[in-house]
Amino acid sequence: MLRTTQRGELLRRALRRCRSSVAIAPIAVAAAIGFASSVALAAPPKGGAANIAMIGEPQTLDPMASTADLVGTIMLHVYELLYTFDANWNVAPMLAESLPSISKDGLVYTIALRKGVKFHNGREMSSDDVLASLKRWMDMAPRGKAVAKEIKSLEAKGPNAIVITLNRAYAPLLAHLALPNGFAAIMAKDSIATPLTQFVGTGPYMFKERKPDQYVQLVRFDGYSSRHEPASGYAGQRVALLDELRFIPVPNANTRVEGSLSGQYHFADLLPVESYARLESTPNVKAVLTAPFGFPYLVLNTKQGPLVNVALRQAVQAALNDADMLGAGFGDPKFYSADPNHYARNTPFYSMAGTEFYGKGDAKKAAALVAAAKYDGTPIKILTSQQYDFHYRIALVMAENLKAAGFKVDMQVVDWSTLIQRRNDPALWDIYITHSAVLPEPTLTPPQLGDGAPGWWSSPAKDAALAAFNAESDSKKRGALWGNIQSVVYTEVPYIRVGNFNSVTARSAKLEGYVAMPWPFFWNTGLQK
Amino acid sequence: MTRYLASRLAGMAVVMLLVATLVFFITRLAPGDPAAVMLGEQASAADIAQLRASYGLDKPLPVQFAYWLGELARGNLGQSIFLQRPVTQALWERAEPTFFLTLFSIGIATLIGVPCGIVSAVWRGKAIDQVFSGFAMLGASIPSFWLGLILMQIFAVGLGWFPVAGYGDPGVPLSDRLHHLVLPAVVLGVVNSALILRFTRASMLDVLGEDHIRTARAKGASEPRVILHHALRNALIPVITVLGLTFALLVGGAIVTETVFGLPGIGNLVVSAVLRRDYPVIQGALLVTAGLYVLINLAIDLLYLVVDPRVSY
Repeated sequence: MLRTTQRGELLRRALRRCRSSVAIAPIAVAAAIGFASSVALAAPPKGGAANIAMIGEPQTLDPMASTADLVGTIMLHVYELLYTFDANWNVAPMLAESLPSISKDGLVYTIALRKGVKFHNGREMSSDDVLASLKRWMDMAPRGKAVAKEIKSLEAKGPNAIVITLNRAYAPLLAHLALPNGFAAIMAKDSIATPLTQFVGTGPYMFKERKPDQYVQLVRFDGYSSRHEPASGYAGQRVALLDELRFIPVPNANTRVEGSLSGQYHFADLLPVESYARLESTPNVKAVLTAPFGFPYLVLNTKQGPLVNVALRQAVQAALNDADMLGAGFGDPKFYSADPNHYARNTPFYSMAGTEFYGKGDAKKAAALVAAAKYDGTPIKILTSQQYDFHYRIALVMAENLKAAGFKVDMQVVDWSTLIQRRNDPALWDIYITHSAVLPEPTLTPPQLGDGAPGWWSSPAKDAALAAFNAESDSKKRGALWGNIQSVVYTEVPYIRVGNFNSVTARSAKLEGYVAMPWPFFWNTGLQK
Repeated sequence: MTRYLASRLAGMAVVMLLVATLVFFITRLAPGDPAAVMLGEQASAADIAQLRASYGLDKPLPVQFAYWLGELARGNLGQSIFLQRPVTQALWERAEPTFFLTLFSIGIATLIGVPCGIVSAVWRGKAIDQVFSGFAMLGASIPSFWLGLILMQIFAVGLGWFPVAGYGDPGVPLSDRLHHLVLPAVVLGVVNSALILRFTRASMLDVLGEDHIRTARAKGASEPRVILHHALRNALIPVITVLGLTFALLVGGAIVTETVFGLPGIGNLVVSAVLRRDYPVIQGALLVTAGLYVLINLAIDLLYLVVDPRVSY
């Protein structure tokens, strides 16, 4: 369907923006082709400044105020969380002394804090700071607000521990406290304000200056109190080897590629996939492929319009050819995979439950379902944007699939700002297209698994499946329980997860010690002279 | 003259008020929402509504407009939603790259356009005229982003003479920052030289056919003196107009070139503000640009007085 050049442009635009506002960086089983060698055997050198080309200017520097990944990636160097993820996506302690002690009924979490951890203003962190930070997070951060509903009380237990009491057992709590996206950053209590004007955290780097559209400059925090466990993913020891990090907004993806090739940027985020071969063939640059990075998904309106009828939603699902949509969206199969299972085979949440309904473009079956559901011919309003070109391409295939099954289609192509506004009004759309990332905890995304997100999916089967999943803390049992949720999603069709896509980034060969993770980080990373 | 100036300035005030009204309502009538962009994908409708209210975006449009006009009258362009600083400061920070880029581009465009235009006119129809006319067509047709990427690949990636993009590392001296402007200035210079070349050529051809040129030649003036002193001076008015308009356009931000070269100029600011619906920045930037445009036009009209003694107001 697509010529190579179209595909190129498509991916260039898609990947350029995918972490700017929509996506949350993925769990990604960081397949990281070309990064294996990046874990240097000898300690990387100390000193120097790294130029890091990002996809744009961050929306804000307040890590709680936005769920955009760009914000999380930068501020993860300044602020730390109580918990974080290791290389295998297990929750590991960061500012917490260790994993919490949890009461037998799963309601009371006692979290001991590390002693002697210094903020950038030189003051030692205490439970007061942690409480003030978590309260702010629960008051203002979209993720924090969702967690706040589960929390009965939040108290200090002396200067070095806090106690969280829940209304009901809620297993995703630690994952929420660890996720570096719209995150529960621990801030110095005296710096807390809204809007945030001082950025005082405990991270290995301190905020120095922000010049919009030029750079966000971070410098090493010499008083950093590191953990002592070996580094693993975001967990363990952190050493600020580089004197300075400069996060430079470079919205043009080609410019990021050229800047990497010329050596001006030591790291470039989210590059067009067609640059992969060129990066690979240049000796002073390493291409990094992260797979899977994210997933496009279609949200169906369950509140108003023809798709309130679940039978019609099932007809839509049957009509769509997910593999064709991915092909249109991402071109070369190297950069996508048409997986019906929401979680990969090597993760605890792998399940094939319900996947027999994964869209294969069966127009006959869909037409029969449409007829049985007594579809009255009301056009299906598809809301999409060209800002993410792969959204648009997917929408084009979707529209044809739907027409073949007997649906009437009304394609509405708008810009991204308009889409994220209009999707909040159930009268304006029936299906909209967006994407997210594969996260370590299934209920963290897409937001339709929570309450009140556009689509307004609410059903007894959903509530029952989610309640069982959230109440279970045994990871082995949670895998099967996730299968139930996946099955309900395939049956009630509140959203359709099309498949997975991968991302390309580049690093300079001089940048040593870099470990590919979805939210890039630059502690333990040095620059060869 | 004084009366002329006064009437022009009064007209300017009316234009600015019209621009302010248009800019405000067009920006607000376009769909989209800064609060949704700020909060990101995971935010709920309630979160978005709360943030909208905190910026006063939930108030009726006329109320917001009256408030904005009131602030404008006090010289306050408002506060950027995303940049956490006043719009005037955000604009001021972008002024340096845009100003120097404009200056260099106009310089390059003039150095290419005016001499080539003169040569084309003097040797009209000859091979050199064909070559320059071809160049003008090419310059006018080449998309600036394409030329930018090509120059970037040759001179920045290949030869390493210039940086690929940006406006210098933190704390570098002005000379370093200006080094970053060379490639974008060449791009804009080449693209804009085409129009200047065509105008210079046409205007020179008109003047070269006039009686006073024949008289000058008859008096025995040398050919260079005829062309540069008698013809060029008279041919300059349309060229100055084009130069002025190009200058005014570039001051408003060379959007594509600034984006390709990652320059933190006015154009870049406007584009990102539009994509995020940062209303105060869009309004402020457009208003200031419109003001500059009007002022530059006035300056051009006054410049005619200097160039051509026949002009009087």
